[in-house]
Amino acid sequence: MHPLADHRTQLKVSRSPVRAQKGTLKLGTPGRPLLVGAVAYHPRVVTVWEGFSEYFRRRGLAVEYVLFANYERLVAALLEGVVDLGWNTNTAFVAADARLEGSAVILGMRDVDAAYATVMVARAGDTVSPRDLPGAVLALGSRDSGHAAILPLHYLAKEGVDLDRVSLLRFDTDLGKHGDTGDSERRVLQAVAANEALMGAVGDATWVALKAEGRRETEGLKVIWRSPTYNHCCFTGRPELVEQAREQWLELLLDMDYNDPELRHYMDLEGVKRWLPGDRHGYEDLAEAMGIQGYLP
Amino acid sequence: MNRRQCDAGDLELGGGLEVLLAAMLDPASPGDEVEVSTASPEVARELPTWARRAGHDTVDQRTAGSRTLIVIRRGTSSRVVAPPLAAAGEPARLRPDGFNTRDWRLNGPPAAGADPNSGFVPLGSLAEAGTFGFAWQLNDRDELWSSDLAQLVEGASAAQWDASRDIPWHEARGLPGFLEQAVCQVVTFIAQNEYAAYYVPARFQHAVNPEFVEVLLWLASHVHDEARHIEVFTKRAVLNGAQAYALASAQRSLETLLQETDFTASALLLNVLGEGSFIDLLQFVERHAPDPATAAAARLAHRDELRHVRFGITHVRQALQKNPDLLSRLVAAAEHRAARLLDLTGMSPLIVEALTVMAAGSLAPPRLSKAAAAVRGLMKETAANRITRLQQAGFDAPTARYVSELHTPNLM
Ligand SMILES: [Fe+2]
Ligand SMILES: [Fe+2]
Repeated sequence: MHPLADHRTQLKVSRSPVRAQKGTLKLGTPGRPLLVGAVAYHPRVVTVWEGFSEYFRRRGLAVEYVLFANYERLVAALLEGVVDLGWNTNTAFVAADARLEGSAVILGMRDVDAAYATVMVARAGDTVSPRDLPGAVLALGSRDSGHAAILPLHYLAKEGVDLDRVSLLRFDTDLGKHGDTGDSERRVLQAVAANEALMGAVGDATWVALKAEGRRETEGLKVIWRSPTYNHCCFTGRPELVEQAREQWLELLLDMDYNDPELRHYMDLEGVKRWLPGDRHGYEDLAEAMGIQGYLP
Repeated sequence: MNRRQCDAGDLELGGGLEVLLAAMLDPASPGDEVEVSTASPEVARELPTWARRAGHDTVDQRTAGSRTLIVIRRGTSSRVVAPPLAAAGEPARLRPDGFNTRDWRLNGPPAAGADPNSGFVPLGSLAEAGTFGFAWQLNDRDELWSSDLAQLVEGASAAQWDASRDIPWHEARGLPGFLEQAVCQVVTFIAQNEYAAYYVPARFQHAVNPEFVEVLLWLASHVHDEARHIEVFTKRAVLNGAQAYALASAQRSLETLLQETDFTASALLLNVLGEGSFIDLLQFVERHAPDPATAAAARLAHRDELRHVRFGITHVRQALQKNPDLLSRLVAAAEHRAARLLDLTGMSPLIVEALTVMAAGSLAPPRLSKAAAAVRGLMKETAANRITRLQQAGFDAPTARYVSELHTPNLM
């Protein structure tokens, strides 16, 4: 058994691979709106999707959104064909892609989702590096968060840190939201500041947003390590999605202009200035990590 | 493509570095590069994230001795959805006594029409696109404007006073009961009218397009003046413990003022006709008050009312000049109000009697007779002045006489 296998997540995904089910709705066929699933991790998600679907409608593509309470339910809906596209975290994408045996389609990501990283934060007065972790406590965010739990462990192990000798202090809040709410990361920072952990892992975007705003959570802390980069969220489509719908969706998504005053508000709420096509390459590390850590069937 | 160097010293994010970077990246063109040199290992780990979140790309990162060099390529997004700001122009004129409101519009008077959906865009500033939710109702300059607005606003600022401390309240004690009662009834009647003078301009405040900022300043000063008038006459009424009637006839007349929804018609009915008549009454009270506090209150309120009346006359005259068709609408407004006040045949006898007793200062017949003549004189004078003011506001003589006769016997 891999040393991290006991940190197995609660991701409830059945073990049988899924194939396109006969008799389900035809995906992306003309006259039927494109159904996009997203997770309601905050009330603003409704505002964002009202704005986005209005944009697509204006540009000639009927898009309807469906909100889910957690990513497991969204992934299940995507696999069952209830929605055509899922606005997934990286963890959710890897889970869906594994069930689709590597045939999930990536149809866009935010500029902030490319070159995402995890940073390790320690108290400003401590001169420490990940090498000092054995025998000490490492604070981690929600166990289903790629950036605040799964990937930091993976990259630390790759750097040769003996994780068997590291005590993990996990903050498993908002499970099912894959770290979207940021709550567990704030708890990680508090734990490090309070000396309950030697260091803690958070997403680089979370850290820099708090730091640039001069928020109290960052006081007395510093970044001592930055992970390799990886991709974060992406729109995930089923392989059956017709080519024309894929193309139209992606073309309009990439055409969203942050300098358009009608769109800026919604793009700000979604934290995107420019949409990118996205690529599978940025999920390889996470797929490997989830496999090793026992998150995948 | 342009590349500039930026020595960030040991600045940290959240500690000024983001200000330096914005100063370099904001004015740069998309694709331009800034090479940031930092001595901070934390910044080296954070800057790529900052750049990504700000819509820029990190295209190179390397160490050079103890420093890290990070090359940021500017993205295409601008932080403000608006054209670039203009270069600084001519400064505003300053007069020996300060910065006069007449001199603050560096680009001349406002345009005739304002965008009903514009937001709060202070004079001289450039509006960012993307505001929504504003829907101003009064967007036509000439329906609101008066050429002396800036001057009137200056006058209002210079003439502020304090109803608590600028009135010799201590000198208003000890009047005989009948006289105190008469004064109390007169100032209660005045206070009732001040309420109407308060609510009428206040009802337009929220509707005026902020482009016409002088109108906002003016209406605010008008409303503030009237609040102080309510205060000072109410204080005089309760000062010595007496009580008077808030008469229904006055309420009925004043309520019809609030029914008028047109700005210029309201200026006619309130500022020209109502407040115009009121300045004659206030002058009478100042002259005949039996105590210095009542006289001072009437004098200070009178000074304010002169401004309000002047605004009404100038505004109505200029609105009529721009749009002669307005005349029939204004006359109709006066007729409409008169039709609703048909059963008011004269000023309430209680007010006429209170004014007479106040002016007499005694119930002795010779004094009362003289005072009654003075009150009759006031009514005559008020009617004559009303016609004069209507003519100043641009009405021809017969129309002025007709509209004056339509005016409420309640004075306001
Ligand atoms: Fe007044
Ligand atoms: Fe007034």
